[in-house]
Amino acid sequence: MSEASIDDRELRNLMTQYQRADPAALNDLVRRVSPPLLRYFRSSRPGRNDAEDLLQECWIRIHRSRHTYRASEPVMPWIYAIARHTRLDAYRKRRRLESREVLVAAVPERFQDAAPEVLREPDGFDRLIAGLPETQREVLVLLKVSGMSLEEVAKATASTVGAVKQKAHRAYATLRRALAKDFDNAG
Amino acid sequence: MRDDPRETSIEHRLKSWAGSRTDVQPSPEILQRIQRELRSSLVPVNPLPGESKLVATFLGGFAACAAGLIAVMDKTGFHLMTAAQIVWMAVILAAGGLLFSLMIAWQMVPASRHRFSLPVGLALCGLAVIGGVALLFPWRTPSSFVSEGWPCAAMELVVAVPAAFVFFLLARRGALWGSAGIGATLSGLAAVLALTALQGRCMFQQAPHLLVWHAGTAAILIGSGALIGHAIP
Repeated sequence: MSEASIDDRELRNLMTQYQRADPAALNDLVRRVSPPLLRYFRSSRPGRNDAEDLLQECWIRIHRSRHTYRASEPVMPWIYAIARHTRLDAYRKRRRLESREVLVAAVPERFQDAAPEVLREPDGFDRLIAGLPETQREVLVLLKVSGMSLEEVAKATASTVGAVKQKAHRAYATLRRALAKDFDNAG
Repeated sequence: MRDDPRETSIEHRLKSWAGSRTDVQPSPEILQRIQRELRSSLVPVNPLPGESKLVATFLGGFAACAAGLIAVMDKTGFHLMTAAQIVWMAVILAAGGLLFSLMIAWQMVPASRHRFSLPVGLALCGLAVIGGVALLFPWRTPSSFVSEGWPCAAMELVVAVPAAFVFFLLARRGALWGSAGIGATLSGLAAVLALTALQGRCMFQQAPHLLVWHAGTAAILIGSGALIGHAIP
């Protein structure tokens, strides 16, 4: 099920019911919105297996800030704006932890087998996408994977439509250059 | 251009990359765990008021605090300024209050439409204050620049720090996640409030004094607010 197929009118209705503490609306909302959210987290952080943790954290934030949703506004940009904050905070937390970690010369043998489960190395086109700057990758994920419009992406990223267009254009240019290199190497 | 195999390739690959994501589904256990956890604290909530009401709240708070401070503080500055200086500075500072109130309201509600970015808002405010002071006030540097200046900076801090805390309490109803932006805008509104109170009180109405000790302190306040906001997890 893609986001485009989620009826926004139904979602608005569910959100309003959720604000009124209707447990059925909550269950329905979690069931409908979680798949696109999980796709967003998976695509935004290729190679990392913490998407389900982020999904849970994101729902806690949605729950805590559900009073900030207004029925006159579309639901998905509001949800993606919260998801984006969840992802950025997790990234900052990870960076802080990594900066405190002590480098070891060699990974102890008993941990070597577990490592691939924690970090899955992306390959092929995934690698090109993973190599894009954070802001450009985010715009591509929201436009292509989440199927949002430029206006919706601008809202979700607290940005302007012009800035979103510029980031998408730059992402395309970077991918084009990388693919051209592949073409030339193959040729 | 569309016939270029590289262009076709990039579109095709992006489409298949996005398509490969559609089969991602959360496990039923995860969904049940989320539903269970949220249901345990499910209570009715009142939605936040609209953007215009949020802006009016901050602008009203700003105006009430400014009026109260001007009423209780010394009014020497008003007697030293010309009518044009009073009117233009009032317009610039009120516009600054409105600009920061707008930016705070946008940040309180996820997915709000930002008419301009935060750096643009800060630059506009900074240019208006610097330009207004530079054009409206005489460029005379008093002999005791530092000894006359630091009490103004200290007074600005005394007003702005508690004001920033009050604005933070007002903004807490929104979805505030520790960020440099919310820190900068809350301290920005408090700094404009302190500038307004100080403008009516200050007995040194010269451009160098106002730029360094008033506007300079406001810039430091905004920078400090941004750093605090960034540091809060």
